[in-house]
Amino acid sequence: MSVIDILTRVDVLCKKYEKYDLDKQWAGADSMSGNDQFLRLYTVVEADIEAAREKSQDAQSEKNRAVVATLNAEVRRSKAALKAEIPKLEKLAAKKVKDLSKEEMAARPDLIVALAQKIEDIPDGVTVGRRGGTWGRKASNPLEIKLDAMHPDDLMRPEHYEQTEESLALRQEYEMRRAKQDEGLDIIAAGLTTLKDMAGDINEELDKQMPLIDEVDTKVDRAAADLKNTNIRLKETLTKMRSNRNFCIDLILIVLILGIGGTLYTYSFSPFTPSYVCLQPLLMYQQSFAVTREQLSVFILNAIVSC
Amino acid sequence: MASDKASNSNPKVAEAEKLVKKADKLTKLSFTKWFPDWTAATPLYEQAANAFKLAKMPEAAKIAYEKAATGQERSSSPWSAGKHLESAGGLARELGNFDEVIDLYKRASELYVQCGKVQPAADALDKGARAVEDVKPDAAVRMYIDACALLEEDGRDQMAFDSYRSAASIYIKLNRYEDAATVFLRWGQAADKCKAVQSQCKAYLSAIIVYLFADNFNLADASYNDCSQMDSFFKSDQNHCAVQLLSAYRQGRPDEIKHVVSTSSVIPHLDHMVIRLAKQLPSGKVTAIVDETGHNELDEDDLR
Repeated sequence: MSVIDILTRVDVLCKKYEKYDLDKQWAGADSMSGNDQFLRLYTVVEADIEAAREKSQDAQSEKNRAVVATLNAEVRRSKAALKAEIPKLEKLAAKKVKDLSKEEMAARPDLIVALAQKIEDIPDGVTVGRRGGTWGRKASNPLEIKLDAMHPDDLMRPEHYEQTEESLALRQEYEMRRAKQDEGLDIIAAGLTTLKDMAGDINEELDKQMPLIDEVDTKVDRAAADLKNTNIRLKETLTKMRSNRNFCIDLILIVLILGIGGTLYTYSFSPFTPSYVCLQPLLMYQQSFAVTREQLSVFILNAIVSC
Repeated sequence: MASDKASNSNPKVAEAEKLVKKADKLTKLSFTKWFPDWTAATPLYEQAANAFKLAKMPEAAKIAYEKAATGQERSSSPWSAGKHLESAGGLARELGNFDEVIDLYKRASELYVQCGKVQPAADALDKGARAVEDVKPDAAVRMYIDACALLEEDGRDQMAFDSYRSAASIYIKLNRYEDAATVFLRWGQAADKCKAVQSQCKAYLSAIIVYLFADNFNLADASYNDCSQMDSFFKSDQNHCAVQLLSAYRQGRPDEIKHVVSTSSVIPHLDHMVIRLAKQLPSGKVTAIVDETGHNELDEDDLR
């Protein structure tokens, strides 16, 4: 091997392991000002972020769940370590450095914010979205919505619990409305107790009257049955009476006969009556005075039949 | 006008008097008549009594009714006899002979009991008591309680409630509060028998209030202890109110008592005379009742 080869090889090796060359680094640090400290830390953090991102990408493409878990854990560890570096960066950024323009100084905090955001964005298998963490109020975005953003010191301040006018008015109105509601509810309660009492009394009255109504029921049933029996008996008696139709006809005929007999007897002495013609056989026999009772009745009957 | 009326009804009155005389003749025993003829006389008496009543002659009507009642009794129809006696009693009340009123109504009630009709008997006693309660409250109360007893014997406790209420109100009017409370407790017992829980609880609470009004805390407490043994009373709102009242009394705080009475939801539904008493609580001086059941026996020195 020639010397040139050895030199080149040594150069490559040195370059590769440059970071382990403390002298060179310290020399670089002495020559550079604090400005480079910030830059150096910044570059270191950036490199670590890159490494963590590569690891997370490996984790995403990995099929084996166990390997994925270990890779994710490592990513998270590095993220936490990087987050711890951020305050150091902030301190360094605040240091006034010579040979540095004012714009660059102003840009430093924004750089740190961007770095913090990059760290957050490294996927580590956690599905919870964390947008805009609590990085201290100085670095917060005024348009973001934050929950539980109260600093503990804030809560301890006495002015925190002071009442403004609006809150006082609101409280008073609340109390008033509540009192009115309570009044209304009391009235309703009183009405309900009255209703309950009345319902109970009605219940007892009904219980009282139930046996009375049952008694009335039985008595009325008995009366109805009696009436029915009486009606039937009356009906039977009436039908018995009415079926003796012949009896009635006989009665009527007897009355007729007696009437006719009477008229015959009264008109027998007057020759100008229409019944004179009918009475001829009777008159003949009257003259003879020898007529018997049977013959008289026979002749009367004949007269009737002929009429 | 009165003379016109009298002249108008005079023929009727005269007729009625004639009827009475005729009936009297039928019933009076004399030398020729050995047995009175009540069957013929009774309708005459009834007619005469009605005529007298319409003619507004209560004295004569009352006498006629009584005689008609006797006639019905002899004819063994106690129902009609009872009815006539009740009418006679009403007329006697108009006349103002209160002793007679009591007597007539009692007889009517007995006749009804003879028939086996308990309810009308109790009603007759109630009517009689109501007629005389202003003038002779003691007799009235006795009649009410007899009516209650009659109904309870027959098993119709629920009908007795009204009689109990009237009896208790008379006692309260007479300021005999212990008797009133006893009546209330009996009322509660009757209500318990027929499972009328509402009336029972109200009766017990009324009894407690009456005892408290009579300044008799011990009796009130004792009766409360007895009543609270009953499940139906124990679960009721009235029990709650009684507990509050008694504890207020025990603590001896009149303002608390008044507060309990005014805000209670059950007291306004009791009988009105009891409400009146409750509103007047606390009557008399109220002192905190010290529980003297032997706490003082154990002394520190006893450990020696």
